[in-house]
Amino acid sequence: VLYVAASCSAVPTNDLLDRASQHSDKMHSLSTILAQELDSHFPPIGRVMTPRPSMCHTSSLQTPSDKAQALQISGSDLLSLARSLLQAWVDPLVVLSDSAYTLPHPAHNSISNKIQELQEHSKILGDGLDVLSSKMGPEAQTLSLLPYTGNDIGQDRISKLINFHFLMSCFRRDSHKIDSFLKVLRCRAAKMQPEMC
Amino acid sequence: MKKPSEAVLLLLLLFFTPHAKGTRFSPPGKPALTRCRSPEKETFTCWWEPGPDGGLTTTYALYYRKENSEAVYECPDYHTAGENSCFFNKNDTSIWVNYNITVVATNTLGSTFSDPVDIDVVYIVKPNPPEKLTVTVMEDKGWPFLRVSWEPPHKADTRSGWITLIYELRVKLEGEDDWEMHLAGQQKTFNIFSLRSGGTYHVQVRCKPDHGFWSEWSSTSYIKVPDYFHREKSAWIL
Repeated sequence: VLYVAASCSAVPTNDLLDRASQHSDKMHSLSTILAQELDSHFPPIGRVMTPRPSMCHTSSLQTPSDKAQALQISGSDLLSLARSLLQAWVDPLVVLSDSAYTLPHPAHNSISNKIQELQEHSKILGDGLDVLSSKMGPEAQTLSLLPYTGNDIGQDRISKLINFHFLMSCFRRDSHKIDSFLKVLRCRAAKMQPEMC
Repeated sequence: MKKPSEAVLLLLLLFFTPHAKGTRFSPPGKPALTRCRSPEKETFTCWWEPGPDGGLTTTYALYYRKENSEAVYECPDYHTAGENSCFFNKNDTSIWVNYNITVVATNTLGSTFSDPVDIDVVYIVKPNPPEKLTVTVMEDKGWPFLRVSWEPPHKADTRSGWITLIYELRVKLEGEDDWEMHLAGQQKTFNIFSLRSGGTYHVQVRCKPDHGFWSEWSSTSYIKVPDYFHREKSAWIL
């Protein structure tokens, strides 16, 4: 463990951020593919019955709503936002993963594989951001707790599809936020390499 | 007594008949929101297709409501992006928020609403094409190659990391049908080797944001590769 910690802290911050944003990029791309797959077999009634985005369990977290706001936020606060969001998805990703096998959807195998891939990226990214935050100081280590209370995706076919779809649409937005924050951080850290940003 | 009234009737008929024939006035047909696009994750525009006007002067208004708010606003700018469009500038654009948008067509007989559309600006990003495309012939150990370079579209803020662009270029010899494609990644220069001596090449470049759609192709840059083979030959003869 010590060896890992030592070797991690030896990696420069800009490299860590570069790797981190590769994972967050992949996570968001996967969530977009998943959203399209789910959309293709979404029950028409679902359009009316889907909860509003404000019902996402992470919606209480205050995040910037445009570029000007985002660029004003300090590096440690951006990292703290990204970590809080990522942390908030650990439990719901388990729920998604458990229910994907039995999802009444023709592509449930492929959906299930992609959710597992999401979990892997999320785990690696989480570990990487922990290392980064310990380098950036106490402010970056602050976490906002955003508990997920739903443990079950639903019983009948329609509610399973709707809740799964809704949870994925929340994740899609949050993964875009995480990715955007990390890419801004990456460019701030990469001021020496103008070819990247 | 009869005649004048008949004449009046005739006149009235003459006056109203052509008019009555054209009277198929109705409320406007249903307009349709066709497309919304953000070139840089900072502003966006939506366009609509008007329906039939019902034979009357018809005006269009776009209304939107943002997620988590009941307030309905009218389009802030109908002019900047041209006819049948609404432009949202930086102050009117939020991201990670759904906009519920509806277009209303109105004439004197009534109003017709389009189907509403829900959009989040981060999912509709399609940048402008790259700019300042330049192509020069360079030489490596006596062999020519093309050095292609360009700049990101000036509206896209790639420096802060707000948007990350990758580039693709395509090249073809004049007179040929097929383009040769090259993915350049985040680089803003690209070298193309194994050229045909004496040929004129057409080069274009386009860009794609980290999450979004490919831009249109840039305008074409033309470059003639000097006749290396002949030049060498003549140098040999000399």
